Parts: sequence; C-alpha cells; structure tokens
Amino acid sequence: MTLGQGLGRRAASRSTRWVPPPEPSPIEPVSVATTSMGGRLVVHLEADGRAEDARRDGRRVIARIDRWAARLTRHTGSSDLSHLNSDPGSTVSVRPTLAAAFRAGLAAEEAGEGLTDITLLDARLAAEGKAEATTASRRSEWEIVRGARGSAIVRRPPGLRFDFGGVGKGWIADRALNLLAEWPSCLIDADGDLSIRCAQGRYWEVVIDDPRAADSNLAVLRLGAPHGGMPTRWGVATSGTHVHRWNVGGTVTHHLIDPRTGRPAVTDVVQATVVAGSALRAESLSKAALIAGSIEGLALLERAHVRGAVLVTSSGEVRALPLTMALLAH
Amino acid sequence: MDAAGPQRTAPKGTPPRAKPDARPMRLALGASGLAAMSALAAAIVLPPRPAAQDTSALQQPGASVGANPTAGQVQRPIVYVQLSPGQTAPPGATVIDPSAPTPLTVTVPAPTSAAQAPAAQKPVVIKTTASGKVIP
Repeated sequence: MTLGQGLGRRAASRSTRWVPPPEPSPIEPVSVATTSMGGRLVVHLEADGRAEDARRDGRRVIARIDRWAARLTRHTGSSDLSHLNSDPGSTVSVRPTLAAAFRAGLAAEEAGEGLTDITLLDARLAAEGKAEATTASRRSEWEIVRGARGSAIVRRPPGLRFDFGGVGKGWIADRALNLLAEWPSCLIDADGDLSIRCAQGRYWEVVIDDPRAADSNLAVLRLGAPHGGMPTRWGVATSGTHVHRWNVGGTVTHHLIDPRTGRPAVTDVVQATVVAGSALRAESLSKAALIAGSIEGLALLERAHVRGAVLVTSSGEVRALPLTMALLAH
Repeated sequence: MDAAGPQRTAPKGTPPRAKPDARPMRLALGASGLAAMSALAAAIVLPPRPAAQDTSALQQPGASVGANPTAGQVQRPIVYVQLSPGQTAPPGATVIDPSAPTPLTVTVPAPTSAAQAPAAQKPVVIKTTASGKVIP
C-alpha cells in the first residue's frame, strides 16, 4: 500500500462516518386560552424569544375563531347555520365560511365512510329528549353547488337541518392553524380536537384522556418532526360517549348518532382517539370508529391509513393500532 | 522591405544594468513551500477524530454520577495559614500539626449536586378529550 492509498483510505473513512442526529426536543410554548364553541380553546405557540408577538397572534387567532364559530353554531338564532336551518326553502344561498364548512362536512362524511354525518341535528335533539325520534341519515338528499366568490348554494329537502358538531371544531382548528403559518411550531386545542404543526427537531406531548377514571391519563403521545425534515402537521381527536349523556324516558342516551339508525350508537367503544394528518380527519374518523364498534372501527381506521388510534371498550380494554406504539412517549 | 527591422543596441556610454540576485528569494520561497507542505501533511495524516462529541451527559446534572464517582463534586485546594504565636484558629477551622504532611487537595460536595439541581423543565402537556370534558 502506498502512502497515497493510505491517506485516501483515512480520508474516506472520515467522510463516511455516520453521526446520529440529535433527539428532538420538547416545545415550551406560550399559550393563550379562552372558552369558545362550548368548551376550551387554547392556542399554543413556540415563541422562540418572541413571547409578546406570540401572545398577540394567539389573541388574533382566537378572535377569528370566535367569528367563524358565530357563523356555524346552531345554539344562537343569528348564525348563518341557524338561518339556513330555519329557512323553509329547498335552495338556500350561503356565505363563504358556511360554504367552506359544508365542503369540510362532505370530506368528513367521505373519510368516515358515511358514519360521520352533518344532517343529524334532529336525531341529536331527539337523543336529548328535545325532539321526536327521527329516521336514519339523509345525507344523500342534499348537495352543495359552488357560487361566486366562495359562496355556495345548498339544495336539500325542505326542513332538513344540519349540525356540524365536532366536525366544525376540527375544521376550525385546522383553518386557524393555517393563519399561524409564520410560527413553525403551533397547536390549536379546540375542546380536545388538536391541530398541530411541529418544526423539525421538536415535538409536542399530547395526553390521551382515560375515560375509566377521573383525572387520569391513558397514554402520552409524542408528536414531532425529525431533524432535517419539513415541519410536520398532525391532527388528534377524541370522541366519547361518557361526557354528553342523558336519561330520556328511563333510557340512557348519548350524543353520537349512528346515521344508519338515526339513534345513539350501540357500540362497545366508549372512547376513540385518532391521530391523523389534520384535526378534521382525526375527528371524523374517531367518531366513525366509535360508532362502528371496536372490531369494525379498527378495520375502518386501517383502511383510512391513520397514523395511530387508541380505543377504549366498555369492558375496560384498550385496543390500539400497531402504528400507535411508535408514537408513545413512555 | 527589410524584414529584420532595426537592431536594438544599448546606448553607447551607459554601463549594462545589474540584475538583482535571485537566490535569496528562491530560498525564501522554497522554505515557505516546505512549511506549507508540512502543515498539509500533518493535517491529513492526523488520526480521525469523532465528528461530534456528545456533551449531553455533561449538561445534565446527575447524568454521569453513576459512571464517575467524583461527578457532582469539585476539587478545591486548601490553603493553610501558619498561625503566629498568640493567634487562634477561627471557629470550624481544621487545625493540623505543623509537622504533619500538607494535604494537597480535599474533596468537598459541590453546592449544586445532582440532588439539589433544579428539575429539568417538563414539556407542556396538551390533552385530547371527548368534547365537553372539563380538564381540571
């Protein structure tokens, strides 16, 4: 071996040495919290030395969310949705925000293979004992046609009423996250539906609530982005039958309506948590998996290629998709 | 036409111009070249070193205590003062006999040992719940 060969070998061994990338580090955000959409609303931003800017942008986003929610809620008579629901006509023009929410509702129905449905307001009110029992889904009976400048026309049978519910929260969380494009790491918590963006080399920790005991945690997810990659988006949502429950005529009901029957879902799942690429998708799939039941629900989630899912059954068992194991923090 | 052109000749009466001696400059250039080659060879032949050193253990109090029994402690030289006749040692001072061998160092616990170090800042935890669930 000549001296040149030896030097070349040393240089080659130095240049090909692999150095493992550093582990992602946790995010310590600046948080702005309020109450909105009937629950908590928190905007978390990684300030990176700009805490005042982060708080200002957090407050702006919350104000924007409040304006969107005011148009989509069914709980006030002045909202765009309430105007539509009370309109006796079969063809109604809707403004851009409501039109975009309807398109999100269609996407949610498609993701949930029909088990997520925004036409079930009357069934939901019947479950609460506030209306007569209704028939099954009427989702095939309405359509939306694009109008000018983002508006749309909704065609439906007269009297068909809508309720966005959790789908609306997920959609709003995703939309709000888009407003914060300046911040590489931010998270919108819309009453438990999370829309998340994570900068490379960072991670968020997300706790899954345990419905079997008060104030306890089922698992901790670590949702991050590797070093050297692009910021990663996540969506996490949880649906459960243990919060909104009513006793109607001696029968305990809940708010998750099975579109196939028009009645509260009869299912062995009491809580479903889904990790996906957006809050809207996670919300629609968690609801669909809960309604479908543990066996068919997990199959549905596998077909949807979610990033993770954890179901808790009425017998206290916890069932998760295998992909979820890679997301667990502990 | 005369292809040869005019002949250049030194003006008559002017002595030929003396050229500078090139040898000192050549020596200097040669020495500089040797020095540069030597430095390059030393840089190339040096054994490879790790591209990055893991300093995380040094930055985490208590992380290396198990591996090194003296971690978390500092070596402090002790200065002894010879007491003059009539002087008394201050309270708590160690008094040794002047004939005893002088200790060079003594190990004392560092004020910020692993037990006293502030706990690592925990990341903010966000909870996903069914809608309407109140988080305490």
